[in-house]
Amino acid sequence: MNESPNKRAVIVGLFVLVGLIFLAVGILAIGNLHETFTTKMRVNTVFEDVSGLQAGNNVWFSGVKIGTVKKVSFHGKSQVRVMMKIDEDAQQYIRKDAKVKISTDGLIGNKILIIYGGTPEASIIQEDDTLGVEKTLSTEDMMNTFQKSNENVQAITNDLKSLTGKLNKGQGTIGKLLNDETIYKDITATTHSLNQASERAQVLMASLSSFTSKLDDKGTLANDLVTDTVVFKSIKASITQLQHMADSASAMVDDLKKASKNPKSPVGVLLYDEQTGASLKQSMKNLESSSAKLDEDLEALQHNFLLRRYFKKKAKEEEKK
Amino acid sequence: MTEKHYIQHTINKEEKVISIREVYKSFGDLHVLRGVNLDVYKGENIVVLGRSGTGKSVLIKLLVGLLKQDRGTINVLGQEVSQLKAKELDALRLRVGFSFQNSALYDSMNIRQNLEFPLVMNRKQLTPKEIGLLVDEVLDAVGLKDKKEQLPSDLSGGQRKRIGIARTLILKPEIMLYDEPTSGLDPITSAEINELINEVQERYNTSSIIITHDLTCAKETADRVAMLLDGMFVSVGSFEEVFATQEERIQSFYNYNFTK
Amino acid sequence: MFFTRSRPKRYIFSKGIDDTLIGVYNAYLFVARFFKEAFTKPFHFRVVVDQCFEIGLRSLTLITLTGFVTGVVFTKQSRPSLEVFGAASWLPSLISIALVRALGSLVTALICAGKVGSSIGAELGSMRVTEQIDAMEVSAVNPFKYLVVTRVWATVIAVPILSLYCTTVGLLGSYLNVHTHEDTSFISFMESAFEAISFIDLFTAVAKSVVFGFTIGMIGTYKGFNASQGTRGVGRAANQAVVLSMFLIFIEEIVIVQISNWIKFF
Repeated sequence: MNESPNKRAVIVGLFVLVGLIFLAVGILAIGNLHETFTTKMRVNTVFEDVSGLQAGNNVWFSGVKIGTVKKVSFHGKSQVRVMMKIDEDAQQYIRKDAKVKISTDGLIGNKILIIYGGTPEASIIQEDDTLGVEKTLSTEDMMNTFQKSNENVQAITNDLKSLTGKLNKGQGTIGKLLNDETIYKDITATTHSLNQASERAQVLMASLSSFTSKLDDKGTLANDLVTDTVVFKSIKASITQLQHMADSASAMVDDLKKASKNPKSPVGVLLYDEQTGASLKQSMKNLESSSAKLDEDLEALQHNFLLRRYFKKKAKEEEKK
Repeated sequence: MTEKHYIQHTINKEEKVISIREVYKSFGDLHVLRGVNLDVYKGENIVVLGRSGTGKSVLIKLLVGLLKQDRGTINVLGQEVSQLKAKELDALRLRVGFSFQNSALYDSMNIRQNLEFPLVMNRKQLTPKEIGLLVDEVLDAVGLKDKKEQLPSDLSGGQRKRIGIARTLILKPEIMLYDEPTSGLDPITSAEINELINEVQERYNTSSIIITHDLTCAKETADRVAMLLDGMFVSVGSFEEVFATQEERIQSFYNYNFTK
Repeated sequence: MFFTRSRPKRYIFSKGIDDTLIGVYNAYLFVARFFKEAFTKPFHFRVVVDQCFEIGLRSLTLITLTGFVTGVVFTKQSRPSLEVFGAASWLPSLISIALVRALGSLVTALICAGKVGSSIGAELGSMRVTEQIDAMEVSAVNPFKYLVVTRVWATVIAVPILSLYCTTVGLLGSYLNVHTHEDTSFISFMESAFEAISFIDLFTAVAKSVVFGFTIGMIGTYKGFNASQGTRGVGRAANQAVVLSMFLIFIEEIVIVQISNWIKFF
């Protein structure tokens, strides 16, 4: 008689309590309602190195957050497959040839995945598509570029030295020298690679300045690091040197080509020889000084604490060899 | 249910105001009322006697719907209490006065406000002046005209009992229910309260149920006495009739009270 | 129920769990009854207004003091960390965000839980054990309406007002500290303080206080209304009213912050 209303009270009480707990836990667990109720689509990409990217990091497109990283897993030999979920609203703006890169939102901020590029000619991405990756420029890449350029410069200088040496010793005319296929090829190849290095350096320069301008806001902790103008200036100087060198080198090649136009007329040869000889010598000087300066700049960079780690690693590797 | 001890004495009054039939009430394992039967006639004072904890207070709380019986029927002024809707119950409650054991005056209000409270809440058509007159009338009836602006905490126990009674009288009830009206009072004050109960009966022509374990009070105020033992009435009749019996439990109750 | 006969056990789980669940059930009925009776006639407007004043007066001094001290101390303690970045000028907005979004309503709610909740619990508890609530009922006044509904309305109205007041006093305290250090004018302090706050912050703060007020009133009245066992029950009702409402206030704070974060997206 007395038991059944009690039993009902206990059961209803249990339901009320469990309901309330579920409600509270549910509200806390759902996290972001906005995200929970928008439809998502899956997109993949494969990186060599995700530099700390984690599930939960945001995905940006044109500076707008459009999704999150869902899963980071190994793929193939040592690659990393990143699966992300992006809002379906953003689908129509992303093309199949768009690229993905890893960046940070601020210096100390989280890693973010940036989808960029893409041409209107390409079709719209579909569920489970894989987007391409363009190698990002890390400090390491930057240093490699410089190192390579410097090697090129040294090679070209050596070539020219031997060239002028031969000239001085009177081993034939320029025309003859230029007919010597190996030397000619050497010089053109070096100049070409020098030009390439210079171009790459310019790209690097542009990304570097945009990188720094972002962090130029005063009052942040990052300010100290970024406004370390020494690093920035030496990098800038190195790049300018590279450009100079590329200019001088191409000027020299032009000279050489002109000279070779008239190899058979002795007067012409003589005239050209003297003229080109002088201009060649000038170019040589320019190149030599540029090369020396670039060496200096690189030396300065090596002493900067920010980049010390890289050079130490490099030195170790060389020791091993 | 064991044997039914029922000593029914003959009382001839024509109009029943309360009729209790086979009422059972228990709290968990505690079976307080086990088959209570009682009729109350118009204009009589009936005293319910019994030891503490025998469910006397429970009985009158059932009458005004503060508690609900497990079984049985309770008919007050022609209405079945447990079947009433909230509004009907409120209407019935206005016709039944309930004087609580500890007076239950509202601490936060002064005496006048205490007395006004039922009127202000239930007789909205009354003007402040009319309410004032009614307050004076009941204060006169309980003999405490000069205490109007005092707080309940300033009054003595006897005075509070009177105010408690006055507060129920202000609604001009047809039935008065007194819960231990003399408990915690000295004999002289008790006698005053007994007198007041009789006065109220005459002045307002009420029927009353008086719950008490005080035999003096019972003797003074009762037209009839109902003896509650082990959850049921074992004897109902005039004071002399009830205690003329040889029933052991009634005798021990009587002796304990008067030989102490 | 079919298993009643097959298993004649007294308790479904154990005495303690059963009692707790019955308590939850009773509380649920109590809250449901409140919503049923809060919007039906008769309304006791006068009592609600009286109770509002009572609550306000009872906790005004304490809230003034606490709000002011919170403002001063919070500013004082935040200053060094902001100065590291040379961002001491951000202090007003930092303080106003902290006060409006969290501290103002939380501090007020906790104080009211302590002062108002306990006194409602004790008042109704003593009315219950001295049968005043029964007396009210037998004089055909619905005590639930007259005592519970009015007090809950009063806390629902008064607590948000008090939290806004607490926030204002806290900002004044903060201004005092900022002014002594930077000689900022009151106008510019307030301007940068309010620049950091959006309408939704203010709305959430008020909504939160309404919920806190409801909690304080509901638990105070529930515990008082259902007090038992004489004077001991009164003390227990007051005590439990404070403990339980503070506990719930913290949980609600977390839940409401979460919900308000959703709202910001829409």
